[in-house]
Amino acid sequence: MKRILCHPLMELAFRWLLGLTFVYSSLHKIADPAQFAKIVFGYALFPPAAINLIAITVPFVELTAGAALLLGIWPRPAALIVEALLLLFVAILSINLIRGVEFDCGCFAFGGAGHISAIPQFLARDLLYFLAGLQVLLFSGRRRWCLTPLKGRNLSAAEAG
Amino acid sequence: MRLKTDLTRAGALLAAAVLAGLAFNAVSPAGIPPFGQWDTDQGVVNAGGQAGVVDVGREIRTVSQARALFDAGAAVFVDARPEDAYAEGHIPGAVSLPVNDFDEKIPTFWERYPLEGEIVTYCSGRTCEDGHRLARLLEEVGYERVRVFIDGYPGWAEAGHPTPTAGKTDAEAAVR
Repeated sequence: MKRILCHPLMELAFRWLLGLTFVYSSLHKIADPAQFAKIVFGYALFPPAAINLIAITVPFVELTAGAALLLGIWPRPAALIVEALLLLFVAILSINLIRGVEFDCGCFAFGGAGHISAIPQFLARDLLYFLAGLQVLLFSGRRRWCLTPLKGRNLSAAEAG
Repeated sequence: MRLKTDLTRAGALLAAAVLAGLAFNAVSPAGIPPFGQWDTDQGVVNAGGQAGVVDVGREIRTVSQARALFDAGAAVFVDARPEDAYAEGHIPGAVSLPVNDFDEKIPTFWERYPLEGEIVTYCSGRTCEDGHRLARLLEEVGYERVRVFIDGYPGWAEAGHPTPTAGKTDAEAAVR
């Protein structure tokens, strides 16, 4: 089990899964920030002055971290950001599940996902992503398909590939 | 040491992302201002910006004003919410024209209600923009006197005004 989990291909699979997920989920928010701002308002957790700024910047944090994971640019720092975002999402979902606030998570698409019954599924999904992120973060072997050198300073991109 | 480097790099990635977001938002046609209107006491909540639909100039901002228009009987009230919400209760005599089914339903509406008539749209109150969206769409097809009752159905119901449900009093008014 440990051998499978620590295999470089496993790292690559998890990293690409997280990278693709975060890039994909950022795009509809970037295309319609006003709609995403409305969803952030619906979370009922953030001060009014922060809502537009969150809607403008957070999707780009998702996009940047996701793209960095995909391309293998600073994968560990990118995984740190992704893990922090996932913890934030889990916190937001949990608080609103406990409070019973009905809201649209806006995770992958707008609308339709506003039902409280879907929140446990979202929570479970985010926790699985979090575990995949931990593997990427803690992986100590040589990473495949990375643009930045990872183990040892002299490892060039070509060697790493 | 490695953690310190990682954190520094994560900070650099974050800074780059935030700058990219601000820059993209500044040039994007869908861009929004840094601060929106998120106080329901002030009106319909919205992010603002060029692409926004909220037009304060056409708003009816109190329930009593809406009631006065209703009593005068000259205006057609149009419900922008989905059909099932309309069926659960609506302003008496209101016509159901869900904003998401606009293209499908507007021909029938257009035949029944003259372009110069007074129209009042509404949705679920100050956290929804659908009343404004519908007002804009109605103007685009030629309606000249469209206003938006921003407290919508919840405001009307809370004030204790009558709220028929579909199938009882005025289901025939819904555009099919």
